[in-house]
Amino acid sequence: MGALFDHLIAVPILLPLLAGALMVIVDDRRRPFKIAVNLVSTLTLLIVAITLLMIAGGMTASGDPARTSVYLLGNWPAPFAITLVLDRLSALMLVLTSVLAVAALIFSLARWHRAGPHFHTLFQFLLVGINGAFLTGDLFNLFVFFEVMLAASYGLVLHGSGTARVRAGLHYIAINLSASLLFLIGVALIYGVTGTLNMADLAARVGDASAENRVILEAGAAILGIAFLVKSGMWPLGFWLPTAYTAAAAPVAAIFAIMSKVGVYVVLRLSLLVFGPEAGDSAGFGAHWILVGGMVTIGFGMIGVLASQGLSRIAGYSVLVSSGTLLAVIGYGTAPVISGALYYLVSSTLTISAFFLLIELVERARDAGADVLAVTMEAFGEDEAEDAEEEVGVTIPFTLAVLGASFAGIALLLAGLPPLSGFLAKFAMIHGMFNPTGLGDGLPIGAGTWVLVALLIVSGLAALIAMTRSGISIFWASIERTVPSVRVIEVLPVLGLLGLCLAMTLQGGAVIRYMDETAASLSEPAGYIESVLTAERVARAPSGTPDPAQGADEETEVAP
Amino acid sequence: MPGETALIVILLLPFMAAFVAGFLPQTARNTEAWLAGVVAVIGLGLSLWLYPQVTDGGVVRAEWTWMPSLGLNFVLRMDGFAWLFSVLITGIGLLVVLYARYYMSPSDPVPRFFAFFLAFMGAMLGLVLSGNIIQMAVFWELTSIVSFLLIGYWHHNASARDGARMALTITGTGGLCLLVGVLLIGHIVGSYDLDVVLASGDTIRDHDLYAPTLILVLLGALTKSAQFPFHFWLPHAMAAPTPVSAYLHSATMVKAGVFLLVRFWPVMAGTDLWFLIVGAAGLSTLLLGAYFAIFQQDLKGLLAYSTISHLGLITTLIGLGSPLGLVAAIFHIVNHATFKASLFMAAGIIDHETGTRDMRRLSGLRRALPITATLAMVASAAMAGVPLLNGFLSKEMFFTEAVENHTGSLLDQSLPYVATLAGMFSVVYSLRFIHKVFFGPDAVGLEKEPHEPPHWMRLPIELLVLACLIVGIIPGITIGPFLASAVTSVLGPETPYYSLSIWHGFNLPLLMSIVALVGGVLIYLALQRYLSSGIEGPPWFRNLKGQRIFERLLVTLSWRWAKALEKLLGTRKLQPQLRLLIGTVLLAACLPLFMGRFAPNLSAFVGFDLGFATMWAVGMACAVIAAYQAKYHRLVALMLMGGAGLVTCITFVWFSAPDLALTQLLVEIVTTVLILLGLRWLPKRMDAPELVRPATLMVTLRRYRDLLLAIVAGLGTAALSFAVMTRPAFDSVSRFFLERAYTEGGGTNVVNVILVDFRGFDTLGEVVVLATVAITIYVLLRRFRPAAESVGLPEQQRIQADFDAEQPHRRPGDTLTDYLNIPSVIMQWMFPVIIVLSMYLFLRGHELPGGGFAAGITMSIGFILQYMAGGTRWVEAHLRILPLRWIGWGLLFAGGTGIASTLFGFPFLTSYFQYLEVPLIGRVPVASALLFDLGIFLLVVGATVLILIALAHQSVRSPKAARAPRPLGPVGGEQ
Repeated sequence: MGALFDHLIAVPILLPLLAGALMVIVDDRRRPFKIAVNLVSTLTLLIVAITLLMIAGGMTASGDPARTSVYLLGNWPAPFAITLVLDRLSALMLVLTSVLAVAALIFSLARWHRAGPHFHTLFQFLLVGINGAFLTGDLFNLFVFFEVMLAASYGLVLHGSGTARVRAGLHYIAINLSASLLFLIGVALIYGVTGTLNMADLAARVGDASAENRVILEAGAAILGIAFLVKSGMWPLGFWLPTAYTAAAAPVAAIFAIMSKVGVYVVLRLSLLVFGPEAGDSAGFGAHWILVGGMVTIGFGMIGVLASQGLSRIAGYSVLVSSGTLLAVIGYGTAPVISGALYYLVSSTLTISAFFLLIELVERARDAGADVLAVTMEAFGEDEAEDAEEEVGVTIPFTLAVLGASFAGIALLLAGLPPLSGFLAKFAMIHGMFNPTGLGDGLPIGAGTWVLVALLIVSGLAALIAMTRSGISIFWASIERTVPSVRVIEVLPVLGLLGLCLAMTLQGGAVIRYMDETAASLSEPAGYIESVLTAERVARAPSGTPDPAQGADEETEVAP
Repeated sequence: MPGETALIVILLLPFMAAFVAGFLPQTARNTEAWLAGVVAVIGLGLSLWLYPQVTDGGVVRAEWTWMPSLGLNFVLRMDGFAWLFSVLITGIGLLVVLYARYYMSPSDPVPRFFAFFLAFMGAMLGLVLSGNIIQMAVFWELTSIVSFLLIGYWHHNASARDGARMALTITGTGGLCLLVGVLLIGHIVGSYDLDVVLASGDTIRDHDLYAPTLILVLLGALTKSAQFPFHFWLPHAMAAPTPVSAYLHSATMVKAGVFLLVRFWPVMAGTDLWFLIVGAAGLSTLLLGAYFAIFQQDLKGLLAYSTISHLGLITTLIGLGSPLGLVAAIFHIVNHATFKASLFMAAGIIDHETGTRDMRRLSGLRRALPITATLAMVASAAMAGVPLLNGFLSKEMFFTEAVENHTGSLLDQSLPYVATLAGMFSVVYSLRFIHKVFFGPDAVGLEKEPHEPPHWMRLPIELLVLACLIVGIIPGITIGPFLASAVTSVLGPETPYYSLSIWHGFNLPLLMSIVALVGGVLIYLALQRYLSSGIEGPPWFRNLKGQRIFERLLVTLSWRWAKALEKLLGTRKLQPQLRLLIGTVLLAACLPLFMGRFAPNLSAFVGFDLGFATMWAVGMACAVIAAYQAKYHRLVALMLMGGAGLVTCITFVWFSAPDLALTQLLVEIVTTVLILLGLRWLPKRMDAPELVRPATLMVTLRRYRDLLLAIVAGLGTAALSFAVMTRPAFDSVSRFFLERAYTEGGGTNVVNVILVDFRGFDTLGEVVVLATVAITIYVLLRRFRPAAESVGLPEQQRIQADFDAEQPHRRPGDTLTDYLNIPSVIMQWMFPVIIVLSMYLFLRGHELPGGGFAAGITMSIGFILQYMAGGTRWVEAHLRILPLRWIGWGLLFAGGTGIASTLFGFPFLTSYFQYLEVPLIGRVPVASALLFDLGIFLLVVGATVLILIALAHQSVRSPKAARAPRPLGPVGGEQ
C-alpha cells in the first residue's frame, strides 16, 4: 500500500494523459464513452489531489508529519534526471485545478462539449500540462509542461470556433509562442552558467555562482521571468488576456482561470526558492520589479474593469486584477503576506471561474448577448440535429433568483466585501502588510505598503462599481424578463464554486493555517532543497538486476 | 441558558429565518410576518433577559476561534450600550414587521422582502454585538449590502435602482475605509479584540498613525450616518418601501455610524482633530439637514432630511468630546429612533391611504385620519423638541452642552447660535408637516378616499408615541436605568453626573428652546409664500444637488476616464503587444547585464574558420531576407527559412552532433512541406495600387524603430549565447549522463538514452504537445473554409487547363495528371524503401543516431511523398490511414511502458534492459526504452500525418465550399 502511495504523485499527470490518449482512439461521436472517461478521470484527479494535499500537509489518518515528497522519475538520482516534487504549495494548486476542472467539465456537459470535436481530449491534455507544471521540480520539464498546457489551450480557446474566437485565439497563440521562446532562451542561459536544470540544485548553486556567471544567470532569470509574467498577464504584457478569455467558451474560460495562476505559481516558486535568502548577492532578485509591475497591473486591471461594458470583459480584467494583486504581494515578499496571498489566490480563482460560467448563463437570455448566442448557434449548427431533444433545458422556477444570487455573491467576492472569502483574503493580506511579524510588532508602515493597500481597496471598489452597474441593468432594469433556459448541471458548478468560497470563510482558521505553513516553508527553501537532493532511489532487487558488468565489458566510445 | 448561548441565538436566528423566509411561497404574507415577528420577539426577549448581566458596566461575552493566527476570532460581546441597540433593533424591528404586514400589498413578492429584512436585522445585531473590530467591519458591510437590496426592492422603479446603487457605493466605500481604519487600530493596539482596543485609548491617541486611522474610521462612520458631505444618499434611499425607511433609514442602520463613534469615543475622542472633523461634520449636517427639510415636498423627503439633521445633532454631541455630550448623544439616539420611526410609519399610512406623499396635494387629513393625525402630531412635537416629550429632553441636554466652552475655537464659539438656528428649523419643518398635511381644506383630486388604516397597522405607531410621552414625562424611572447602564458601559469611571428631570429651572438652554420654538413659528409664517409656490427644494441651494454631482463624478471617473485610460495604457492589436514584449524583455535582460558590467569575453574568439563563417553568413542572410520578405513573398521567405535551417543542420554536423543534425534535417523537410501546403490558403497578396498606401513619415519611423528593436534583441541574444558558449567547461549534470548511458541505460547513443530514459518524461511531454497541436490543427481546419479569393484554381493550373482546352487531342486535366509523372512514379516506388529506412533508424536508435522520433518523421515523409505523388484522393483510396488512432495508441504505448515499471515497485519510466541471444543476428540489447520509443514513433507518424491530412483535405473540399459547407467526417475511426 505504501508503495502504491509513492506513485500517487505521478497520477495527476499520467491519468489525464492516458485518459486523453484513450479518447483520441475512440470516434468523436461516441460521446457517452468520452463523457464517462473524462468524468471518471477528472473526479479521480480530485480525489487524488485531495489525498496528496493531506499527505503534503500532514493531515493523513496515519498521522505522518507534513513532508515534501519527491518522486524520482526513471529511478535516477535527483539533480540529474527529472523529479516530481510535492509540497504544500503544489498540492494546493493541484486541488484547485481539479476543483475547477470538475466544475468546468460538468458545466460543459450541458451543451458546450458538443460545440467542437475532441473537446474531452484537449481538456484532459490541458490538465496534464497544468498538473505537470505544478508538480515538476525541473526547469526544462516545466517548459515541457508549459508547452503541453499551452498547446491544449490553443485548441480549447478555439473550441466552438467563430470569428471572434479565431481572432483572439490567434493573438493568444502568437504571444504565447513568443513567450515560450523566451522561456527556452532563459532556461538555456541558466543551464549554461549553472550546469543544472533541477530547481533545488539550481537554488543550491546560485549562492556560489561567480560574479561573471551571476550576471548571465540573472539575465537568464529575467528573460525567463518575462515568460511567466506574460502568462500571468502583467502589464504591459497581458493585453491579450482579457480578449482571449472573453472570447473563449464559458467552460474553457472557467478552467483558464487557473492558467494565469500557473505563471504566478512559477514566479512565486522560483523567486522564493532560487532567489531566496541563500542566493547570496542575487537574493530577492527582481522582487521590486514584480512588486511595481503587480501594482501597475492592479491599476490597469481596475481601469479595465470600470471601462468594460460586457460582463465577460469585466471578468477578463478581473483576472488581471487578481494576477496583479498576487504579483505585487509576491514582490512584497514577507511570509504572512504570502500566506494571505495564497488564500487570495484560491478565493479569486474560484470566483473568476464561477463568474465565467455564470456570465454565459446570464447572457443567454439577453438581447445584448446576441453575439454570444450567434456564436453558440454557429457552434451548434452541425450537431444540433442529433442532440436536439437534450437541448431543451429544464427551466427551474428559481432560475433567475439563483442566477442573481450567484451574481451578487461573485460581486461581493470580487469587491472583497464580506461575508465571502474575498473579504478575508484582502484582510489577511493587509493584515500581513501592516503587521509583518504578527500583531503588535509596532513596526512602521512604509510608503510602498500604503500604495499597495490603497490599490487593493480601490480595486475592490472599482469591481463593486462595475458589478453593481452591470448587475442592476441585467437583473433589475430589464422590463420584460426572459428567464434563460438553464439546466441544473450548469448552475450546480457555479453554486459549488461559490459554496467553496463560503466554506473558506467559515473554515477560515483551518485554511489560513495551511497557508501559513505553506508560506513558512516557501520562505525557508532549505527544507525543499534538502528533500530533493537527498531523495533515495528505489533499490534494485537482486534478481531483476540488469547486469551492467556484462554491458560494460564491451567498451564503446560514447559520443561526446 | 447561559449568556453566550443567548447571544449566538440572538445573532443567528434572524439569518436562519431569512434563509427560510426566502423559500416560502410568494403568497405567504402572514407566515412571513409571523416568522419575522417571532424572531424579533425572541431576540427582544433574550436581550431583555440578559439585561441584569449588563448593568453597571457588566459584559456578556462569548468567543469562538475563527482565524486565530490573524487575531480574528468570532466574539460576541454585549454591554449596556450594545444592549440598548439590541433592544432598539429587535423592538422597533418587531413593530415594523407588524406594520409591514399591512403595508405591503398582497401581490408583492414578500418572501424576498422579509428575507432581506430579517437578514438586515441579523447584520445589524451582529454589528452592535461584535466583540472584534474586524468582525464589526464584516457586519458593517453586510448592513450596507442588505440595505442596497432593500432600497432596490421595487427595482422596476428607476429611482429605486439609482438610490440603491448610490447608497451602496457611498456606504460601501466608507466601509472599506473603515476596514483599513480598524486594521490600523489593530496594528497600533496589537489586537483586534474590542476589549483590548477599548483599554488602549492613550496608545491610539498618542500614536503617529492616529490621524490617518481617525480619518479612515470617520469616513466609515460619517458615510453610514449620512453626514455632510456624504448625506445625499439618504433622501434617495427613500425609494425603498416605507417599513424599510422607518427601520433602516431612521431607526437603526443610519445609527450605525454614530454607534461606531460612540463605541470608539473612549479611545479616539478628545483630540483637536476629533473635535474639528466630527464637530464640523455634525454641525454642518445639523444645520443643512434641517434647512433642506423645510423645503421638501415629499413627506418622506422631509423626514429623510430631518433624519440627517438629527444625526448631525448626535454627531455634534459626540464630537464635543465631553462625557455629558456623549450622554446626550446616546439619549438622543433612542429618542430619535422612537419618534422618527413612528413618523415614517405615519407617512406610510398617509401614502397608503391617499396614494400620494406629495405635500402639495395633501391637506386636511385630520378629518379622514383623526387618530393617525393625533399620533403624528405628538411625534412631530417630539421631533420639534416640545416639552413633555422625549425629544425635548435630549435637545435640552444638547443646548446645555452647546453653551459650554470646549476648545474655545471658532467652531465652538458658534455652537450655541447654530444650535438655536437648527432648533428653529426643526420647529419649522415639524410644523409644516403637521399643518400642511392635516389642517386646511380637504384635499381634492386624491386617487383614493382616505380612511383610518386597520388598527394593527396603527398599533406600532401608538406604542412608539406612547413611549415618546412616557419618556418625556417620567424619564427618570423609564429610560433612566437603561441609559445609565449604556453610558456606564461606554464611559466607565468617567461617567458624569447628569439629570434626566424635565425642569432645571430658568437657564440659558431653556431660553434657547423658547427662542427656537417661537422663532420657528415665525419663520414658518414668513416662509408661507415661498412654500405655497410649490417649488421643490430650498431657495439658494436648490440647484446644488449632491446626487447629480455624485453621478457626474461617478460617470466621469468610472467610465469616461477609465475608457480613455484603458485606451491609453492598453492595446488590443497584436503588433504593439509583440513590440512591448520584446521591448520589455530587452529591458529586463539588459538591466542585470548593465548592473553587473557584462562584457562578452572576446579573447575567447579563437579558432576562426573561414568555411564555417561563410556558411553562417549565408545562413544569417537567409534568415534576415526571409524575415524581410515574409509579408509579400511568402514562398521566397519559406525557401530562405529552409536555407537557414539547413545551415543549422550543417552546424550540428560540424560539431559532431549527428543526432541533432538528423532530427533537424527531417523536421526541416516536414515543416517546409506542411507550410507549403498551407501557403495555398493564405490570403492573396494585396497588390492593387489603390490599396497600397505610401508610407507616411510616422509609418517609416515606426518601421525603423521596429528594425532597431529587432537588431538590438538579436545582437543581445547573440552576445549572451557567445558568452555562455565560450565559458570554460565546468561541472554539470552532463558528465553523469555520459558515465551512465551505457552502464545503466543500456545504450551507447547518449542522446537517445537521454531522450528515452534519463529525461524520457520530457519526451513524453513533448509528444503530448505534438499530439495536441496536431489535433488542434485538425479541429481548426475541419471547420475552415478558404477565403473566397483562394477558392479558385491556382494560376499554374489555370494555364495548364487553358492549354488543354486549346489542344484538340487533349482533354482538360491531362497536363495536371501528367505533371511530374516520372517523379511521381519514383516517389510511389520509394514508399517501401522509406518504410524500411524508418525501421532501420528506429531499431538502431539506442546505439547510433536515429530513434523513435527520427524514424517517425521519416515514416511520415513517406506518407507525404505519397500524397504529393498521387494526390489526396488517390492516396486515400489506396491507403487507410487513421492518424488519430496512431496518436492514441502511441501515447498509450509510451505511457504504458512507463507504468509497467511501477508494477515492479520502481518509479514511472524506470527502464530495464537485457541482452538477448537471437538466432542469426546474435546478441542484441533489449531495453524497455525501446518499447517507449515505439510509442513515440507511432505518435509522431500519427500527428504528422494528421496535420498533413487536415491540410490536404482543404483542396478536396474547397470546390464544394461555395455551395455546400460540409466538412469531411472525422478522420479517425471510420472503420
